[in-house]
Amino acid sequence: MVFLEVVDLVKDFGGVVANNHISFGIGQEEIIGLIGPNGAGKTTLFNCIVGYHKPNFGKVVFKGKDITGFKPFMTSREGIGRTFQIMKVTAGMNVFENVMVGAFCRTDSRPTAQKEASEVLAFLGLEKLKDYHLNELPIASQKKVGLARALATKPEILMLDEVASGLNPKETEEMVNLLKRIHQEKKITLFLIEHVMEVVMPISQRVIVLDGGEKIAEGLPKEIAKNERVIKAYLGEKYAKGL
Amino acid sequence: MDTLKDAFDFRDFSRIERIILVLFSIFLLIFPWLGFGSFVKTVMIYFLLFSLFGMGWNTIGGYGGQVELGKAQYVGIGAYTVALMMVWWKIPFWVSMPIGVLIALGYSFMIGYPLFRLKGHYFAIATICTSLVLQDIFINWKLVGAAKGIELPIRDHPDFLYMQFKSDTYYFYFIMVLFYAGLFYMNWFRKSKLGYQLRIIKDDEEAAESLGIDARWCKIKAYSIASAFVAVGGGFLAVFNLYIDPYSVMDLDLSIKIALMAMLGGAGSMWGPIIGAAFLIPLDRFLGSWLGAQKGLIGVDFMIYSAMIMVVSAYQPRGIWGIIEQFRRKGA
Repeated sequence: MVFLEVVDLVKDFGGVVANNHISFGIGQEEIIGLIGPNGAGKTTLFNCIVGYHKPNFGKVVFKGKDITGFKPFMTSREGIGRTFQIMKVTAGMNVFENVMVGAFCRTDSRPTAQKEASEVLAFLGLEKLKDYHLNELPIASQKKVGLARALATKPEILMLDEVASGLNPKETEEMVNLLKRIHQEKKITLFLIEHVMEVVMPISQRVIVLDGGEKIAEGLPKEIAKNERVIKAYLGEKYAKGL
Repeated sequence: MDTLKDAFDFRDFSRIERIILVLFSIFLLIFPWLGFGSFVKTVMIYFLLFSLFGMGWNTIGGYGGQVELGKAQYVGIGAYTVALMMVWWKIPFWVSMPIGVLIALGYSFMIGYPLFRLKGHYFAIATICTSLVLQDIFINWKLVGAAKGIELPIRDHPDFLYMQFKSDTYYFYFIMVLFYAGLFYMNWFRKSKLGYQLRIIKDDEEAAESLGIDARWCKIKAYSIASAFVAVGGGFLAVFNLYIDPYSVMDLDLSIKIALMAMLGGAGSMWGPIIGAAFLIPLDRFLGSWLGAQKGLIGVDFMIYSAMIMVVSAYQPRGIWGIIEQFRRKGA
């Protein structure tokens, strides 16, 4: 069965067509990469799936249920977790409380939420940071907290919007390992928007390429790297030769 | 059980805070016997009343971060329900006050549902408007006494059922009980699921929604809780003053006072509204009676009052409690 399916999705912002008849499916426990140049409509596609935007046309089906037009909190309760490209850096709550709020998605009891938050923090190796506020942390840690928060809602699919942007090579490698662990140990399907090829290519099982609001290619990372349209639109000649 | 434990569990506060709370409680208990005059007693009663208002406002305004400037309409609903039911049907306070709270709850859902489609400044303006509209209706509504207001019939003897006493001491102890009920409730609230959800909504509403939180519904719930708090205080105001009119219980002044007090003390903290009321109520009362009596000095109290708020909010947006915490962090 297709786990998450996007059927013929169209989103236009008064003339600017951000997503033009896009269709694809994601299987359970797959890792899918979504790439494309700036303005290709990647984030819009994410937002249409999780419900921040309402698509003008088309359907989003999750586990056989039509979730088109669901509000973000509803898709989250259905089991779609997401992280943001840019985390709002706030001082209101500490790391532990942030993750706890995520855990409250599935429980009303504070002790349960606390226990789950501790587990998620331990899984991601963030216990030491639990008393800090987001504005006191470096970007890499902020991104991990965003990840922890989303994981605490116990998603079945995790949609990651540029989880490696702003990270240095070492931090990027750490993040890739973390994503692999999340996939292997928690059996969570991953769907990632990424600009950093070092992240997408090694871990994605399939890659979808958008350009100018259209899906121009879909396939194994190896095939995508050789696809002429993709090279022209996005990867550039250099990357293709380097492989 | 857990709920009760959370309400009475102050262990996560520092030692100093707990000691101050205990000392303060002892002071409140013996206060009527310390020999203060009726003026000071009235100030104290108003301090506790406004602490209660502030704690209510703090749920939506402090923890939820929504600038809410229409609390006076709920003071009015609480006060008018108690007063009218007594004048018309001689219904005792203990029956009419809960009914007033229920009406306030119902009304707040009705108002809150459309209002929370708005955000930020637009929401603040809308809350002011709904409150002013209700005030205008009451000013012109003959059945409820219009602009003249209503006087509560005075009982021959002090009467517990109708909450009429000769001495302010009884009122003091009654509002003190309400104050503690509010305090314990807030102690539970800040640790509850709703409390945490509101705090993340205040920080980052988009992220909150991505964590399965129905932000609008959470805000409506908090708004209703705040309204219920304020309606209880309104009911008390009716039996305490024995006279109410739309200007005294539904004015914009009152709404702003409630919000400012909590903000000055520290919105979104447990002690903020109490500290704010402790500063502003005595200031308001003393300056009002002292300066107000001097010729040509009317209104100076308001100037001092607003200057204080400006200074504090310029220095630390999280109010007096924010300043205290800042110093403690430096010291630690």
